[in-house]
Amino acid sequence: MRLLWILLKKELRSFFVSPVAYVVLALVMLLSGYSLRAALSILERGPSEGSIVQWMFQPNWFWLSYFFAFPLLTMRLFAEEKKMGTMETLFTVPVETWQVVLAKFSAALLVYGLLWLPSYLNFELIRWITAGQVVVPGGALAGSYLILAFMGAFNLALGCLASSLTSNQIIAAVVSFTLSLLHFLAGLFIMVLGRRVSESFVDIISYFASMEHIRTFSSGLLDTRPMVYYSSLTLLLLAFTHQVLEFRRWKP
Amino acid sequence: MINAKDLTKRYAGRTAVESLSFRVEPGQIVGFLGPNGAGKSTTMRMLSGYLPPTSGSASVNGFCVFSQSLEVRRSIGYMPEMAPLYTDMRAKEYLRFRAELKGLAGAAMRRRVDEVMEQCSVQSVRRRLIGNLSKGFRQRVALADALLASPPLLILDEPTNGLDPVQIRQVRELLRSLRGRQTILLSTHILQEVEALCDRVLMIHQGRLLADDTPAALTRNLRSAQLWVELQADEAKAREALAALPGVRRIEDPPSSEGRDPDWVRLMLRLEAGQDPRSSVSEVAMREGWALRELHLQPASLEDVFVELASMDRAV
Ligand SMILES: Nc1ncnc2c1ncn2[C@@H]1O[C@H](COP(=O)(O)OP(=O)(O)OP(=O)(O)O)[C@@H](O)[C@H]1O
Ligand SMILES: [Mg+2]
Repeated sequence: MRLLWILLKKELRSFFVSPVAYVVLALVMLLSGYSLRAALSILERGPSEGSIVQWMFQPNWFWLSYFFAFPLLTMRLFAEEKKMGTMETLFTVPVETWQVVLAKFSAALLVYGLLWLPSYLNFELIRWITAGQVVVPGGALAGSYLILAFMGAFNLALGCLASSLTSNQIIAAVVSFTLSLLHFLAGLFIMVLGRRVSESFVDIISYFASMEHIRTFSSGLLDTRPMVYYSSLTLLLLAFTHQVLEFRRWKP
Repeated sequence: MINAKDLTKRYAGRTAVESLSFRVEPGQIVGFLGPNGAGKSTTMRMLSGYLPPTSGSASVNGFCVFSQSLEVRRSIGYMPEMAPLYTDMRAKEYLRFRAELKGLAGAAMRRRVDEVMEQCSVQSVRRRLIGNLSKGFRQRVALADALLASPPLLILDEPTNGLDPVQIRQVRELLRSLRGRQTILLSTHILQEVEALCDRVLMIHQGRLLADDTPAALTRNLRSAQLWVELQADEAKAREALAALPGVRRIEDPPSSEGRDPDWVRLMLRLEAGQDPRSSVSEVAMREGWALRELHLQPASLEDVFVELASMDRAV
């Protein structure tokens, strides 16, 4: 536990001494600003069926920021240690591999959480400016951030795995971006297909389709299935990452 | 302290270390010698538990390097080749981070960090980013890191690589001051360092152990002493006569005959181990009526032993 905390502190520190965290933060702030404007312009057109929270997490602007964040946050984690040879110093002190994996992953997750703080402040700002005329439903807000956390954990774990596979940060970023996008598109594909085929597919859809998950959760409905889905995948990916790092120590 | 048995490491298709067996007793300073690519770093990586051996086994401080990795890591201070460090950290900050990882904490940790910074003369750069430090200073920060937890065994891969002569001497003094308290295994290309510092030498070449002895015994027993002779004689005749002497292995051409007296012949005789044919040389010179103005026996240095062993092995 103590070691985990020491490692986590160091990882968080490296995020904030390098420009990466700030670049991602700026990017996400910008794009979520655009999302908010898009959401507001929908509401301006007259009464709508969804709340501002729901419209906020629909536009392409949102998805753009969503996909950019993960590779940028995770590419450095293991690839850099490999490149600089610090793996050798790191794994010759008494730390367990899983502690390192968990510390790096948690650091990325915390920074990722921080990325959504400005968007929350935006909501509060709107509530304040319009003196409550624009309703920001608390349940929908909580649901949105909850599913964002789960989806984020999954994609960050994917990024960790990509980073552990190579010593080149660019390759790590490309691999993690591609895999995240593929997962998203697969969900989208199944969703579209499911609509065409039959309504009974809807059940399966809710397992895979990230877009569907956001839609559900941002309307304030909590569904445990996506949560289970994302958290088990996250654990699986982290276990893979652990194995990749341990591979070096396998007996041939 | 270290007990290696038949340690072997193969990388895809290439054997880096081949059935290496040796022991290191507690308190010894052992030098690890070998030409580039001999397998020194690979062996050290295996001993530190970073790489598993392909076959064979090794124990450090009584713990198996493969199955009891954490205990082994608690017993060693390892300094890898090239001193890899986090370049975005400041020297002191880095050492504190490392000290915490190694289980030190609080005031004791801060005191220990100050102590090793003093020992390795990195106090002056403690607030600077490691990425901006010169190679020598990075090397010293890495050495300080290895010393941090006062482990019973130090495994140092080329600790003086890239240091200036004053620093080399300081590091040597530092390591000497640890003698008896800590066991040290260090690899180096500087042979004087081994002669000055080490109780024992392990010499490896192409992954195999060539010699395991004290530096003095190595230089004494290996046939490498040289005898310099300068005569006023016909060169062919002189060569023939001297080569026939007992104890002379062969005659080598001296490094350069530029600017030499044309009347004088300067020859270098390689001797058999433990032989001293100086008196026979002067007898020959007297008998033939040659003037003799240099007769100098140069004891073998470790460097000769090293070059000799490496070339011997190649011939096999
Ligand atoms: N990761 C690796 N993959 C393949 N071969 C390797 C690897 N690391 C080392 N080798 C090979 O193993 C052999 C021994 O290398 P090692 O680094 O142990 O030599 P060394 O004695 O430390 O040399 P130097 O004096 O140059 O540091 C070399 O032939 C090297 O090419
Ligand atoms: Mg080496």
